[in-house]
Amino acid sequence: MAIPDKIGAANEINELLSGIVKHGGLRLKYRITVDPPMAEERDWERPEILVEFSGPDSPLLLGRGAELLRAIELLAIEMLRLPGNEHEKVCFDCMNHRSMRLEELRIAASVAAEKVRKSGAPYQFAPMSSRERRIVHLALRDHADLRTESQGDGLRRYVVVYPSDYKGTSPRPPGRTIP
Amino acid sequence: MSEPSGDMRALIEQIAKALVDTPDQVFVNQVEEDQISVLELEVAESDMGRVIGRSGRTAKAMRSLLAAAELKFGKHYELEILE
Repeated sequence: MAIPDKIGAANEINELLSGIVKHGGLRLKYRITVDPPMAEERDWERPEILVEFSGPDSPLLLGRGAELLRAIELLAIEMLRLPGNEHEKVCFDCMNHRSMRLEELRIAASVAAEKVRKSGAPYQFAPMSSRERRIVHLALRDHADLRTESQGDGLRRYVVVYPSDYKGTSPRPPGRTIP
Repeated sequence: MSEPSGDMRALIEQIAKALVDTPDQVFVNQVEEDQISVLELEVAESDMGRVIGRSGRTAKAMRSLLAAAELKFGKHYELEILE
């Protein structure tokens, strides 16, 4: 399902962000695009509203795994009351962080796949948001000899990659994590 | 252009009002304690879940904004959601 009133939603986001930038004393500009054209390699995400930040405080948004960028994105999504399966329809980005992160996750997924094949043992990723876990699941969906599962609760949920014929019961895989 | 300075009380108030069902029951009180500014957020009881969020995600996001303000302005803020 699409966001029912995209222009209305974009206006609400604009109002929220202008307040955050002003009251937060942030030196940031932003551009909001409805139904943005996306590059080929971004075919796993089809945002209907894209917000792109720029300006001197961009590093503040991107520090610590883009914590602040994700925080503002989450506040916008909560404000719009989007159900969980529609969160990816709103995407906040800054200095192409999103597409770089997507590429990182794809590489991490293929490294994990190789490790599981070689060792025959499950591989546990670091905890990630549901959107990032989805990217890892999608990256490995065509590997018939592997299967992926999300485990753990709430903010600590993570992806585990198994050999598809793995018999062990819910192991504690080695504590190695990527990325 | 002079360096902008923040107003975290207004920031939290605006965000909370955008999140809840009854914005006219949102109040934010700023209390200065030693080196810390405590922002006390009060919302209607039925809106508590809206400002806390699943697993506390929404409250955590507001605290991330306050942490950024601390980095930028060197002032420590804490968000307290009043029961």
